[in-house]
Amino acid sequence: MITSTAPLLDVRDLTVTINRDGRLVTALDKVSFFVNPGEVLGIVGESGAGKSITGAAIIDLLVPPLKRTGGTITLAGTRLDQLSPKAMRSVRGGRIGFVFQDPMTSLNPVITIGQQLCDTIQAHLKLGGSQTKKRALDWLDRVGLPNPDVQFKRFPHQLSGGMRQRVVIALALCADPVLVIADEPTTALDVSVQAHILELLRDLHRESNVSMMLITHDLGVIAKMADRVAVLYAGRVAEISPVGELFSAPKHPYTRGLIRATPMPSATGEMRLDQIPGAMPGLGAVPPGCAFNPRCFRAQGDCRATIPPLHHEKSSAFSCFHPLERVTA
Amino acid sequence: MLNYAASRIVQTVIVLLVISFIAFLLVANIGDPLAALLSADATVNERLELIAKLGLDQPLWTRFLHFIGNMLQGDFGFSYRTQDPVANLIAERLPATVELAFVSLLITIAVGVPAGIYCGVNPNSLFGRFIMLISTAGITLPNFVVGILLIAVFSVQLGLLPSFGRGTVVDLGFWKTGLLSVSGWRAILLPAATLSTFQVAFIIRMLRTQLMEVGQSEHIRFARARGLSEARIWYVYAIKNTLLPVITMLGLQLGNIIAFSVVTENVFAWPGLGSLFLQSIQGADIPVIAIYLIFVGLVFMVINLIVELLYPLIDARVLRRQT
Repeated sequence: MITSTAPLLDVRDLTVTINRDGRLVTALDKVSFFVNPGEVLGIVGESGAGKSITGAAIIDLLVPPLKRTGGTITLAGTRLDQLSPKAMRSVRGGRIGFVFQDPMTSLNPVITIGQQLCDTIQAHLKLGGSQTKKRALDWLDRVGLPNPDVQFKRFPHQLSGGMRQRVVIALALCADPVLVIADEPTTALDVSVQAHILELLRDLHRESNVSMMLITHDLGVIAKMADRVAVLYAGRVAEISPVGELFSAPKHPYTRGLIRATPMPSATGEMRLDQIPGAMPGLGAVPPGCAFNPRCFRAQGDCRATIPPLHHEKSSAFSCFHPLERVTA
Repeated sequence: MLNYAASRIVQTVIVLLVISFIAFLLVANIGDPLAALLSADATVNERLELIAKLGLDQPLWTRFLHFIGNMLQGDFGFSYRTQDPVANLIAERLPATVELAFVSLLITIAVGVPAGIYCGVNPNSLFGRFIMLISTAGITLPNFVVGILLIAVFSVQLGLLPSFGRGTVVDLGFWKTGLLSVSGWRAILLPAATLSTFQVAFIIRMLRTQLMEVGQSEHIRFARARGLSEARIWYVYAIKNTLLPVITMLGLQLGNIIAFSVVTENVFAWPGLGSLFLQSIQGADIPVIAIYLIFVGLVFMVINLIVELLYPLIDARVLRRQT
């Protein structure tokens, strides 16, 4: 299935730099991945690994001084990186929906929920006033808000965090995009609400078969939602694998470190927690060679000399000279 | 909403009472009304009679209540200087000042708001920078300098507009307006422009700062991520978030102009409240000054009240903060 269809989104060598007082610092270094139709691709990594920058770069919504300086982005045959600002606007929201992280700040506080939905729908679909409103109400219902008529007239501050995030999701999806980029969609929410929002995202994904890029630092979310996972480290792709393979047989030492640093009860019910020594290098402080080499227990001379290229295998890819072998138990 | 309105109105009344009390203390404690009202050769009996008539032998609180009661009945006392009722003095001068204030507010809104929006949306454009440069001059130049400059250019050099007075005034019975005659409009332009110089510059800077800040906010980014047009984002989604401080400032500035356009009125010999206030201070005319203070308080409070009652229409969150 993965190889038979052309990818919906194909990102190649995406490079983003930040201009710091005249010095160019690489924030995203030749990141490549693809998303198949109907697939959920998880993007995982520590804070500052470049996950959110990747999402923002795809819809050309980087906050200056961040700037896209290289690579290609292709959505269903269209080169997004070559589009005019006007054409790009119709892609945003129309072809690619974006779910923002914090529902407390991402809704306009002085405009009603209904108005925000209708404006978004009308920006992309040629519908009359009553059709637009009907669609907006329909979406409020689909994201599980009770009494859509009432919610339609309400302001964001009258809704709880979880309800607001449902509105954010409705806003991202209401113009029928083919791809949804969800940037930490549950991070700002209570744990109990997180599960509901994830469930909603999964249901909507199943109903509409929309492709999804799920950006998160939470491997639990990845395990629940993703088909494949891309692991980012210091602005580079460390590994991309189907989710089962990633958890059972990680190739990149960083991936394994990340998994082991997540609290998970083992078969005996014991909690095992290993942390990766050191910290991820900040922007502009990436060491030569593999960015992970100072923290890696397998690092050798070549790791410190050259950047390992992304090595493709059947269904996965990794950038490591000394990958972990599959543990056959 | 009703609760909100009621609590605002109660607050307004309380503040007005406090201002009235302070003004009353001024009248009660400064100056000697007897010396001002009695002739030099008055007898002791005449003196006692006047004391009783003015209620000066009563305790402070009784006199204050009396003072308030009189005001509510439209009796504001008499000027020491001209012996005229204070109410007449103020009513005579009020139209000139109010018209001046409104025309300058109009100029402020018509010039300042579009320019401010332009600077906020295009902060780095050449024209935007140019506007900011000009506005710095508007902020820093004192009113009288602007007034004199305008007179020098438009009255003296070009001879286009009059440099003093109100022009032809039409009496509507309750209000003497200069806005119904061509000469009245010609006369009001220069002083109104002088007054609005600072306001325009101020509004431009405020709108620019506000818009630049809102433009960075997450909800504007989200609006962009949903593909809304730039026009809609700026002129509806962003602007609506900046309106609260802007209308607050516009309201306060309007009050300021009505109350304290002393300097400008003087430069243009504008027969308004400002010049009345100046004359009263020079003549130590305490009753007029006191009533003027209360009047200024009233103007500010009423404008503020109107502005605050507008808040919930712009941002429903103010209602929540109440409870």
